[in-house]
Amino acid sequence: MTKTLFEIVSTVMNIPIEKISDISGPNSIPDWDSFNMFVLLDEIEKEFDVKFSLEETLEIKTVGDFRKKLEEGNK
Amino acid sequence: MPSEEKLSSYLNKSKLISNSNYAKKIRIAILGGFTLNGLEETMRVKCDEKKIQCTTYVSGYNQYNQEIIDEKSQLYKFSPDITFLIIDCRNVFGELFLNPYSLSAEERKQFVQTKSDEIINLAKTLVKKSNSKLIISNFSIPSYSPIGINETREEFGLHDMVRSLNQNIKIGLRLEPEIFIYDLNSFVSKFGEHNVFNYKQFFYGDIRISLDYIPYLAQELMGYVTAVLGLIKKCIVLDLDNTLWGGIIGEDGFDGIKLGDDPIGRAYVEFQNNLLALNQRGVLLAINSKNNFDEAIQVIKEHPNMILKEDNFACVRINWNDKVANMKEISDELNIGLDSMVFVDDDPVNIEYVRSNLPEVASIQMPADNCHNNASNLKSMTAIFDMLKLTDEDKARNTMYLEQRKRAEFKTQVGNLENFLKQMNISVNIKNADDFTIPRISQLTLKTNQFNLTTRRYQEEDIRKFSQDSKKIVECAQIKDKFGDNGITAAYIVNKDNEQQWTIDTFLLSCRVIGRGVEDGILSHIIEKARKDGISQVRGEYIKTEKNQPAENLFVDFGFKKEGDFWIFDTNDQFKKPKHLVIS
Repeated sequence: MTKTLFEIVSTVMNIPIEKISDISGPNSIPDWDSFNMFVLLDEIEKEFDVKFSLEETLEIKTVGDFRKKLEEGNK
Repeated sequence: MPSEEKLSSYLNKSKLISNSNYAKKIRIAILGGFTLNGLEETMRVKCDEKKIQCTTYVSGYNQYNQEIIDEKSQLYKFSPDITFLIIDCRNVFGELFLNPYSLSAEERKQFVQTKSDEIINLAKTLVKKSNSKLIISNFSIPSYSPIGINETREEFGLHDMVRSLNQNIKIGLRLEPEIFIYDLNSFVSKFGEHNVFNYKQFFYGDIRISLDYIPYLAQELMGYVTAVLGLIKKCIVLDLDNTLWGGIIGEDGFDGIKLGDDPIGRAYVEFQNNLLALNQRGVLLAINSKNNFDEAIQVIKEHPNMILKEDNFACVRINWNDKVANMKEISDELNIGLDSMVFVDDDPVNIEYVRSNLPEVASIQMPADNCHNNASNLKSMTAIFDMLKLTDEDKARNTMYLEQRKRAEFKTQVGNLENFLKQMNISVNIKNADDFTIPRISQLTLKTNQFNLTTRRYQEEDIRKFSQDSKKIVECAQIKDKFGDNGITAAYIVNKDNEQQWTIDTFLLSCRVIGRGVEDGILSHIIEKARKDGISQVRGEYIKTEKNQPAENLFVDFGFKKEGDFWIFDTNDQFKKPKHLVIS
């Protein structure tokens, strides 16, 4: 899952995959603005076949938050 | 319907567009009443794919009113060629969109009238203050109603309000030459309101056209961009077996092919009807098929369910020759560039073969499952034929090409060219640029590639300005002969430089009237006019392009002398005015 998640972040945020970790977010990724964050959310939802609620969406601040939400969904 | 790539893939591609210097350039402004992020990037990528250099401007969030009203706004500084104004009911109705029945029916009518007038004024203001064409979206009729099943019983209900708004702006803007209404309502119907409008995206970022559908919207809006630039397809070249009918005539025989009367056959009848509609609006049809001529033509002539008749095809190539060679012949016979042609075939090998040998032809493979795909596939095809204005010439084009075929037959009967021209009774009727002819003159400058001395492209507003300029002559000619009316098929623009000299800025002839001496007739008309005004010399340029070789020898043949970049004619010199035609 990590690999796919990082790959999506890398494509959407236009950043090499080596530079991505769980703490990556708007502070470390220059392209991470609110719109790209939403594009990212959309692609992650499609790839993992999940739907985040609006509330969950607003809680997500970093790549790690995405991972946590996806893991919660898998339980 | 061709599927689109993901928005993120366009966003990434947009970052890779290099500053290429393409000949075709366009400046696009996008004004939105809500978040339209991604649309601009997608349009730039789509332009780049078509070798169009695209510069864009996106107005601030929901700033469209101020941008249009303020003469000093960034929008006007940017000076777009084309502006897209995309707003929706929430922008116009505000909270009333959710509770329209807080007003009485009478108040609702008044409200819609006021709002319609505001939008119409806004649109007119933009084109008045700029040189831009404006594409304004209409409004999607919601499926929602606060009164549910009673919506359809209510006098001037919510849905009527939106319908009426759409109708009002259509009537108010229909005749504005620089304004076009984009049917966003149909876009939403086609893809479904629940798909296009996504509440999460709406609440999150005021996104009212969801990310998945931005590329589809961009694709539709591209139709305006290509039309403004005159990149128009004119002719569909069709295969026969498994394209116009199901099955193979050589194997299944006249009674065995599928055309009407069964599920598969009905799909082909529908497809033929779609093609007929395109033909009636001016798109030419031609056949390029590997078959025994007699067998195939018998179907076209005699099959009871054939919708397209022999006369619908401007050019027919049914033989065992190479399809690429046939394409070239069709292009020559119709005098239409290969880049204005679309090729439709069911066989992927043929498609690939034509694509690799003639990349300028748009090759479309018929979907394997015709039942599901052909009508909608064609819908995407109609978009590539879109031009901003359908003129009477467009609608009559097919008749004109038929007459052309008869002229060619007549020519072979008469034999010698001089006799042929004499017997053609050609008349050239010179007309001023006026409200009726200006759209056509502009269209001719945008579309004519072959007999065009300078290939200068002019939009309608340019031609209108020129026509009001006392230092310019803008005229066109309607050409008739014994077989019929060719319509307005020639145009020219002359600059009156000073008391001694005129310069021909533009001189062009539609390909269907080339080779009949019309060009010499019009040129003599210009020289005579200059002589009458006491002008001593008329000069012109030939600017070579890949396609305008037919016009190359016009000046030298007429008796112009080359000096530097210009061809000069001394109006005192004698010239041979063609005797076979009447100029009025």
